[in-house]
Amino acid sequence: MASEIEKGTKYIPEMAQTEIDDLNKSIKTASLKVIEDNIERMKKAWKNRPQAMEYFDEISNLFGKRQEEIKQQKTAGKKVVGYSCIFAPIEMILAADAIPVRVGSGWYDTAKLGDRIMPVEICPVIRSTVGAKMVSLSPFLELSDAIVMPLTCDGRTKLSEILADYKPIWHMNPPRVKDDPHTLGMWKQEIMVIKEKIEKLTGNKITRKNLKEAIEKMQQATKAFRRLQDLRKGNPVINGRDAMLVNQTSLWDDVERWTQKVNELCDELEKRVEQKEHSTYPDTPRVMLTGTPMIWPDSWKVPNLIEESNPQGLVVVDEQCSGDRILYDPVGVDEWTMSDMLDAISERYLMACTCPCFTSEHGNEDRINWIIDRIKEYKVDGVIYYVVRGCILYAMEYQRIKRVLDKMNIPVYYLDTEYTREDVGQMKTRVEAFLEMLEARMDI
Amino acid sequence: MTNNNEKTEYWRWLEYKKVMPNKDWKKAKIITAGVDVGSVGSKAVIMLDGEIYAWSVMRTGSNSSDSAKKALGWAMEDTGLTLEDFHYIVGTGYGRVNVPMANRAITEIACHAKGANYIWGPTVRTVLDVGGQDVKAIKIDENGKVVSFLMNDKCAAGTGRGMEVIADLLKIPIEDVGKESLRVNEEPEPVSSTCVVFAKTEAVGLLRKGWTKEKVIAAYVRAMAIRMSDLIEKVGCEKDFVITGGQSKNIGIVKRVENILGVKRLPVPNLKETGLDPVSAGAIGAALFAKALYEKSLKQ
Ligand code: SF4
Ligand code: SF4
Repeated sequence: MASEIEKGTKYIPEMAQTEIDDLNKSIKTASLKVIEDNIERMKKAWKNRPQAMEYFDEISNLFGKRQEEIKQQKTAGKKVVGYSCIFAPIEMILAADAIPVRVGSGWYDTAKLGDRIMPVEICPVIRSTVGAKMVSLSPFLELSDAIVMPLTCDGRTKLSEILADYKPIWHMNPPRVKDDPHTLGMWKQEIMVIKEKIEKLTGNKITRKNLKEAIEKMQQATKAFRRLQDLRKGNPVINGRDAMLVNQTSLWDDVERWTQKVNELCDELEKRVEQKEHSTYPDTPRVMLTGTPMIWPDSWKVPNLIEESNPQGLVVVDEQCSGDRILYDPVGVDEWTMSDMLDAISERYLMACTCPCFTSEHGNEDRINWIIDRIKEYKVDGVIYYVVRGCILYAMEYQRIKRVLDKMNIPVYYLDTEYTREDVGQMKTRVEAFLEMLEARMDI
Repeated sequence: MTNNNEKTEYWRWLEYKKVMPNKDWKKAKIITAGVDVGSVGSKAVIMLDGEIYAWSVMRTGSNSSDSAKKALGWAMEDTGLTLEDFHYIVGTGYGRVNVPMANRAITEIACHAKGANYIWGPTVRTVLDVGGQDVKAIKIDENGKVVSFLMNDKCAAGTGRGMEVIADLLKIPIEDVGKESLRVNEEPEPVSSTCVVFAKTEAVGLLRKGWTKEKVIAAYVRAMAIRMSDLIEKVGCEKDFVITGGQSKNIGIVKRVENILGVKRLPVPNLKETGLDPVSAGAIGAALFAKALYEKSLKQ
């Protein structure tokens, strides 16, 4: 059926091409500066930063090498499948020989642009993604041939409509309750629909063979990721910001190459464990981050503050879908039959996810358990609960998580902010006071 | 403020300083200082072996590091002390990283907690610090250590800076704002704006509507007291409760916060004799941290 909506009734009003170009150029220049500045700061904080980090610095340039590679592969006939959130089954995209890339935006400047058409109540992740679209800033969004959009929170649901004016959007409907008997079945159907769409877009069938290969590729990535995570459990041999960057680049890098590079990094770091060569003082308070995704590059505001604070903090682990949640769980297959693999994928993307869009009789208990386990494993001294204004799900869940942590005698601090640089001074005071508090507790 | 005519500068509050007469710094083993550079006031406290010796409270100028130097300089005046005589100096407050002579910076949250514990003793559990540009509710333990805290959004309303703006607008000397705000028979509706710029516009509107000055200031002060009380309730108000920072002197704020929360704050000690000034709680805490840090450095 032909759409009855006239062309002129898109969400985003028409803008003059010259304005688009100017804004694109100025925001891109500013963003490149932020990227460079973040890397400089990470280098400064860690004098003897391993050589292997250089690779991730390069990949972290959103307008650099990776973008070019994808462009070339696209010209050679490959398809690019963007996704807004980690519910998208990466293995299937890989199996069909397409390129998966995450498209959520971490640009503060484009959030300001999004403000022109989005009310301030909307979370800045959405406003910023809209703003990025307004001036075609995001290389990965622009290069996508289709975008998988799981409808998790309200912001993402409506964002999918906005992006649908430009790209084919493949909706996914994650159930809000995971453990009802019928929900896994519902979700598997969603996965099957995506499978068909991927096949149609790429012209490649997802077969037992290529799916198995893709699953194994991702399992290797998970293994490398876990190896790096294990290194963060002991005395610090890598700073939190650096590990976060490594983890986040997996969202747009070539997964095999990424895996290899992470293993190279781990080789270097394991030597440092032996030589007791630490990235910072071993008695630095150990911080866990949880809450809203912290998207590169501008949201590095927070880990920068924590690790440059006086007293300093060290981010040892996070519970964020922009970080340690991306690769934590492998797809676990018993028998390599098609139906088993599809079952395993469905389960992995539903059951393992701790997003606050879920609920149950006992609240979002998987998330709480995840946090508790990580606190113990990583010997966390305190938790920073990060929320951007307008992110209702994370904001609401805070209270319960705080009460659980209170019982464990683990201090937690609610750090709310916006996509803005203006509150850095005030946030610095809050972060430092929290770290002073942790330090004072450790003194006892 | 460019107006040099003293009479029209209603916001201008009095600076003060003192040196304790019967103390001799030459006999002290450890001489420390805390310098608290806030957005409105800069406070310096000099301690001899952990006891208050001299202090000053001044307005913060446009340059934090100058303000820090001036405040400490004023406290040192006539004592014969020079900067070399200090064993350790801690900077705190919003300008804490710009205290040039400080050995270390510590946040005002930790310093107010420590200072409140020193001023009122180990029973203090909840501290409300109302500074020049923000409000903090701090929960502390019997040692003056921070257990948890909340800070309001960066916004001048309800803080020292906001009070200055309103004082100027209503032509009420800043020292009298609290008192004047209590001269209403009945509490008016609080102003609805949480931002000082809008609150100012709203106040102008109310004046035009024929509200008296007292009623307008009451509406403003009440709105601020409500916000502060919310913050304290969120952090959990445990006794004993105290108020520190520049606005601890604003009786209009204090009375209303007490009414809303149903708790009385601990009374303010006799400043002139003791130097235990709630306005300087941050600088007092900083000077105490300076002593502890110096002692720690000796052990290492
Ligand atoms: S928080 Fe949940 S909905 Fe948001 S991006 Fe992460 S997984 Fe998706
Ligand atoms: S989960 Fe929160 S941050 Fe993510 S899109 Fe939804 S509202 Fe925004």
